[in-house]
Amino acid sequence: MQTRIVNIRAAAKAALEEGLCRVVAGYAPGAIAMRARPVFIDKPEDAGKLTWSSFCVGNLAGLLTQAAKQASGRIGVVAQGCVSRNLVGLIGEGRLAREDLYVIGVPCLGMAERRKIEARYPGRAIIAVEESEEVFVVRGKRREERMLRRDALRDNCYTCVQRNPVIYDALVAEPVPDTGGGDIDKVAAPWEKHPPGERLAAFQAAYANCTRCHACRDVCPLCYCSTCFVDESTPQWAGKTGDFADVATYHLLRALHCAGRCTDCGACESACPQNIKVRRLTSKLEKDVRALYGCQAGMALGESPPLTVFRPDDPQDFIK
Amino acid sequence: MQSYLLAKDRLDGFVSRLADRLTVYVPAKGADGLWSFVASGSAQPPLALTPEGGNTNMPPKSFVFPRTEVLMRFDNRAGEGGMILREEPVPAGRAVLLGVRPCDAKALAVLDGIFGRRASGDASGEVSGGAFGADPYWAARREATILCGLACNYPCPTCFCDQMGCGPHHREGLDALWTDLGESYLVTILTERGRELASDLAPAAQADLNRAESLKAEAASLLTGKFPMDKIAQRGVLELCELPLWAELAATCLNCGACTHVCPTCHCFDIQDEVKGERGRRLRNWDTCMSGLFTRHASGHNPRGDKLARVRQRFMHKFKYIPVKRGEAGCVGCGRCIKACPVNIDVREVVRAMNEQAPQTPEGAA
Amino acid sequence: MTREAFSPRIAAFLCSWCSYGAADMAGVGRMGYPADFRVVRIPCTGRLSPKFILSALRQGADGVWVSGCHPGDCHFISGNLMVRRHFTLLKNLLEYVGVEPGRLHFSWISSAEADKFARVAADVAAAVRALGPASGALGALIKAV
Repeated sequence: MQTRIVNIRAAAKAALEEGLCRVVAGYAPGAIAMRARPVFIDKPEDAGKLTWSSFCVGNLAGLLTQAAKQASGRIGVVAQGCVSRNLVGLIGEGRLAREDLYVIGVPCLGMAERRKIEARYPGRAIIAVEESEEVFVVRGKRREERMLRRDALRDNCYTCVQRNPVIYDALVAEPVPDTGGGDIDKVAAPWEKHPPGERLAAFQAAYANCTRCHACRDVCPLCYCSTCFVDESTPQWAGKTGDFADVATYHLLRALHCAGRCTDCGACESACPQNIKVRRLTSKLEKDVRALYGCQAGMALGESPPLTVFRPDDPQDFIK
Repeated sequence: MQSYLLAKDRLDGFVSRLADRLTVYVPAKGADGLWSFVASGSAQPPLALTPEGGNTNMPPKSFVFPRTEVLMRFDNRAGEGGMILREEPVPAGRAVLLGVRPCDAKALAVLDGIFGRRASGDASGEVSGGAFGADPYWAARREATILCGLACNYPCPTCFCDQMGCGPHHREGLDALWTDLGESYLVTILTERGRELASDLAPAAQADLNRAESLKAEAASLLTGKFPMDKIAQRGVLELCELPLWAELAATCLNCGACTHVCPTCHCFDIQDEVKGERGRRLRNWDTCMSGLFTRHASGHNPRGDKLARVRQRFMHKFKYIPVKRGEAGCVGCGRCIKACPVNIDVREVVRAMNEQAPQTPEGAA
Repeated sequence: MTREAFSPRIAAFLCSWCSYGAADMAGVGRMGYPADFRVVRIPCTGRLSPKFILSALRQGADGVWVSGCHPGDCHFISGNLMVRRHFTLLKNLLEYVGVEPGRLHFSWISSAEADKFARVAADVAAAVRALGPASGALGALIKAV
């Protein structure tokens, strides 16, 4: 991890010094344990502010579309596998241009789920977590515990298919094995095993605590519409209430808008203040997209998003 | 003020006797690992009033200010003289929340100052004290909710309640304060309503009171230190609006509502009519200043049209506007927003920066 | 309500260039088909956002039927082919959360196929009728006022 931090700083410093980009989007240490915060730096001497950890669980690609709109010039971005896939996706959708990006690629070891670490040490305030490739060292007031990385990863990181960046201009560590090792198709749609009559209960239970803060939408790099459907009022596609009908409409439509574009980066689940497994819907859709259209979002430049194209022989058994 | 003692092994029995005449809510851990207030009957015994991680994931605000609240219903029944408006009855019966943290209770007291509250014990009394008159919906639910606090013996790294005129053993807004003495709870009665709950408890001894006092001092010492807010108070609103920190925050703030939804004092709402055929209902829903929709006018103009204005609003509201109007901060230091923010904006750092960046002398002064 | 007495409300989104014409022709030809549909004429199935279908279900439709031009016959060349993927994913997703397969129907019917229109309409109505009023997952999506 230390190599990555040192090399990210060096790459950012060099890029800013040499004028390869006007600003670098990366992560700075968070104010409390197990957090990191996005930061934009525009001076080479600030490169030391950058860091890297397994708690960089947001998705910087989302902040780039906003930054790109505000000023012209090349933007640097620290990107692991999934974020680089989102960059590729945004390039494909015309939101970003490859030549306007300077990608500092980070081969990823999988990101941590802080709630799994908290759950391991209930009732104890965690003051700091340090990490190596294999273990997390969890520090409390008086004690220090070790937890294996493989026990603390986010769900989506076990089934990652692209831990190395797809595109990069600088790489800050030796490439790692490309996948997280798990089989996404086995876990992508867990409610399929329920008989149809019991799926609603699973759906309702999963989203019961949603307060509609929309953090899952706002953290998502795919959600850049100037007006989200959920904020439209004439007509109002989803009501403003916390009733299940509105919660369900919001999550179903949000997932559908992400279909074929989602890289399973997991930022939505990490952002949710209510621990909702927001990927239950998106990972099901991506599973279908893979099975039916053979596509995975953001794996190569120049590919069109699967829902903007068609094949004459696309499956249509259900159409009369 | 009277104090009683309840042995911990008698807690479940105490709660179940209470539940015979009132609805009792206690903190409990859900299947998703989150702590929230649930009806005592559905909590797994033995009850534990102290959530892992210090506090419930969401504040008890929603018991008094629900996420979605029906204010009234209307329909247009032919032959019955046109539009018929019906007031929505407030749920009958009283509830007791057991294990409310002092910060969350103080938050309800802050909101009393905004929504208004009936004089305690006088359910039919006039609502008074609200910043904009009276809110009968708030007042009715507040009246029907008895708050038994649980003092914090171990504040979290994210807690800064002492900074905000509150504290781990603060009593404001509570009907009774419980203190965890190890083997038993010290139950300190604070209001008449709190007294009815303690009718069958044994009085506490002086040693118990002393123990609670020392726990209180210990808890206060665990908090991480205060920061100055003097310049925020002294400088004008417009001066604070121009600080450079807002642009820095806006660069990474997502404008999601995570911070406002988990906040015990955030109370912005949106009133909307939902109509279907001949029927409809008027609703009050939580809204958030982070959302552009919250302030967008029908004309399309938005007085808080960009992220900067919206993220600034949240902090200015809590640390400038409410203090100016009410003489106390609109934040109680519970630290939930620090934990919830997807981009780790720390309210303590923001307030520190506001104070540091505020001009030393008023604008225009020589 | 008994199944016999139940008369479903089915939102039918019909492409203006084909299925809507087929409905006209079925009428002109005095072909009988169930009266359970509330037809919405759309310029192309490619215009049909999943929002529209969700919106119909939220308002209490017991079923939805979308019908457009045969592949290759789209007035706009490929609107129907493009949206086919969206329909597939939407139908799968709704079934994934528990909506019965018989609630959502899709068909390709040209303006010359009045007989197919009447036949599919009967099939769709029968399927929705057999399921009864919206309940379960579909019921949970209905916006209560």
